[in-house]
Amino acid sequence: MVESIVSTGMAIGCIYALIGITYNVMFTASRVFSFTAGTLGMLGGVLGSLFIAHMGMPVAAGFLLVLAAGAVFGIVTEIVAVRPVLKSLDQHLYVLSTLALALIVQQFTAIEWGTEARPFPRLFDIPRGGFDQQFWLPILACVVVIVGLELLYRHTLVGRAFLAISEDNYAARALGLPERSLRMASYALAGGIGALAGFAGGEMLLAFFGNAPILTFYGFVPVALGGMGSNRGAVVAGILLGLFQQAANFLVGGIFASVAVFTVFIIVLLARPEGLAGASLQRRV
Amino acid sequence: MSMTRRQALASASAAVVAGGLAKPAIAASDPIRVGYLPALTGPSSATGIGINRGIQLAVQEINAAGGINGRQIELITRDTQSDPTKAVNGAAELSRGQQVSVIFGPVNSGESLAVVPLLARTNTPQVHPCWVDALTDPQKYPMCFRNAPTNQQIGGAANRYVVEVLNRKKVAVISDTTGYGAASVNAYVPMLQAKGAQVVYQGNVDAANPDLKPELLRMQYAGAEVIMPWSVNAGFLSRIINTRGDMGWDVPIVGQTTLGSGQTKALLEKPEYWAKVYPNNFRNVCYAPGGKLPDRTNAFLDRLKSAKIDMGDTLLWWVALGYDSPRLIAEAMKNVGTEPEQVVGYLNKLKGFPGVYGDITFTPDQHNGYPDEEVVMVEANSLKDGAFNLAPGYSA
Repeated sequence: MVESIVSTGMAIGCIYALIGITYNVMFTASRVFSFTAGTLGMLGGVLGSLFIAHMGMPVAAGFLLVLAAGAVFGIVTEIVAVRPVLKSLDQHLYVLSTLALALIVQQFTAIEWGTEARPFPRLFDIPRGGFDQQFWLPILACVVVIVGLELLYRHTLVGRAFLAISEDNYAARALGLPERSLRMASYALAGGIGALAGFAGGEMLLAFFGNAPILTFYGFVPVALGGMGSNRGAVVAGILLGLFQQAANFLVGGIFASVAVFTVFIIVLLARPEGLAGASLQRRV
Repeated sequence: MSMTRRQALASASAAVVAGGLAKPAIAASDPIRVGYLPALTGPSSATGIGINRGIQLAVQEINAAGGINGRQIELITRDTQSDPTKAVNGAAELSRGQQVSVIFGPVNSGESLAVVPLLARTNTPQVHPCWVDALTDPQKYPMCFRNAPTNQQIGGAANRYVVEVLNRKKVAVISDTTGYGAASVNAYVPMLQAKGAQVVYQGNVDAANPDLKPELLRMQYAGAEVIMPWSVNAGFLSRIINTRGDMGWDVPIVGQTTLGSGQTKALLEKPEYWAKVYPNNFRNVCYAPGGKLPDRTNAFLDRLKSAKIDMGDTLLWWVALGYDSPRLIAEAMKNVGTEPEQVVGYLNKLKGFPGVYGDITFTPDQHNGYPDEEVVMVEANSLKDGAFNLAPGYSA
C-alpha cells in the first residue's frame, strides 16, 4: 500500500506541480492566471499519442513536436486571450477569455480526437513492473523543469529580464526591456512545460480530452497552496497534493477522496491565505 | 346582417382550426416519408454509424421489393451530430416541417431524453432503441415504442449471469460518477440483493482517477468473487481490467457492453487481461457453443456480404438493430396504412415480430418490446466479424 501511495502519489503530484508551474510562468509575465494550463496538459497527452502511436513518428521527434505545439498554443493564448484584456486586468476578464479559449480547444479535441480515452505509447521499450516508467517519467520531467527554470531565472540575462517584468513591468519597460516579446516568450515557455506535463504523464492519464478540466482544477491547487508565482512552492504543494490524494484513495476511497483533498485545501488556505511559500503582499496606502 | 365581435372571432378561430387540421391530399403512389435521427457524426457516432448500415440495407430491400403496398419508403435523415439540441431541432423539423409518418431514433439516450417528450406533443409515432428506462411510458408517451432492451433488462441479465450461472454470491459493484453510472449502481444493487447475492463493495469513483488499485484492493479485502463495473467510459473500464491483471487477481468482470469494445481493448496493458471479462450482448447475434450463429442471423450475414457491408469496424447487434427497425415500421404500415393512430394501434398489438436482433412484442401497457431472455453475457475477447461467443454457462 505504501509503495503504491508513494509511486502513484509522487507521479501524479509531479504532473500537478508541472501544471502549477505552467500557471506560474504565465502569471509572472502577465499577472494573469491563464486557465489554459490544464488544456496544455491534455494536449501533451493527445498530441503525443497522435504523433507517436497514430502517425508512427519516432519518440524523440514526437516529443519535440509536442513541445513545439505547446509553445505555439502558449503564444496563441497570449495573443488571443491575454493581450486584449491586459488593460483591464482589475476586472478579471482574463478568467472568461482564457477559460473560453480552453473550452474551444477542449471541444475541438473531443470532436476531432473523440471522447474516449486512447492509449498513450510506451516511450521506452522496457518491461513493466515495479517503479515503472509511467511513475518515474513525470518525476524526472518535474526535476528537469524546476532545475532548468532556476538556471534560467538566476543565471541568464533573459531569465533576469523575465523576473524584471514580473516584478514591475512599467519600470522594466522604462529601462528598455521588450515587455511584449518577453511576455510572449514566457507564454511559449509555459506552453512547452504544460505540454511536457501531459506527455510525461500520458501513460498514466491516457490521451483523453477530459483530462483538461481535471488538470486545470488540480493544477491550480499547488499554485494556491504553494504561493502564487512560487515554482518551488508549486512543486512542494503539488507533490504533497498527489501523496495526500493517493493516501485518501486508499483510506477513504471513491468520491470521498476528492472531498478529503479539498477539505484540507480549504483548511490550509484559511490558515495561510498567501500559500505555504508565498509572502504577504504589502500595499502602499 | 350584422356580425358581433364575438361571432367574428369564433368564425376566425374555426377557420384557423379547420385550416390547421386540413391535410394535403396524398396520392396512393407517393413515397411514405419516414423520419430518421441518427448520430452519424460527433463523439457518440460509432453506434449510429453501425445502425445506419442496417437501416440503409433494409430500406433498399423493402423498396426493391416494391415498397409498402406499392409505395416506396423515403428516408428523411437528419444527423443529430451526437448533440441533443440538434436532435430536438431535427425532430421538430421532421414532425412539423417534413410531416413524416413515423420517426426512428434518436439512437443515443441523451438525445432521446430531449426528443421523446417533444414528439409526444406532435402526434408522431416514434420507435427508438435507447436504453434509459424513462424513455418509454405508454401513459405519457403513447406513441413511443422501444425495440431494444431497457437498462433494467441489461442489469438484470448481468445479475442473473453472476448469481445463477457463475454462482458467485459476493459481488463488488463499481461505477463512475456519471448519472448513468450512479443510477445503474443504485438500480442494480437491490436487484442483486433480491437474488440472494451479498454486495460486499459498492462505490462510485471518478472516471479520470488514474489509479484504481485502492478500490480493487478494497474489493479483494471484502471478499468479492466478481466485479461488476457500470460505465461507458473505456478508460475507466480498462483501468479496472488492467489493475485486476497487475494484481494477479483471478475474478470475473461482468458488466456493460463497453467492456467488449475496441476502445477498451486498445487500452489494455496485455491482451490476456481481457480473459474472464463478460460484457452484455444479445443472444441472436452471438456465437453459440460450437461457434454457430442462429439461422436467421446467418441469412442476414449473407445479405450483408452480398451488399458488401463492412463489418470490420462495427458490431453485429448495431447493424441488426438498424436492419430490423424499418422492417418493423414497414410491417405496421403494410397492414394498417400510414395514419399515426393506426400505426400505433398495430404496434400496440405486435406479437413476436421476428427481428435479427430479437423478437419484438408490444402491448398497450408495455412499449418495451425486447425479450428479457435474449439479453446475455459474452466473452469480451472473442470478437469475430462483429459478434462475440456466448459467455461460459449458456446453453446453445
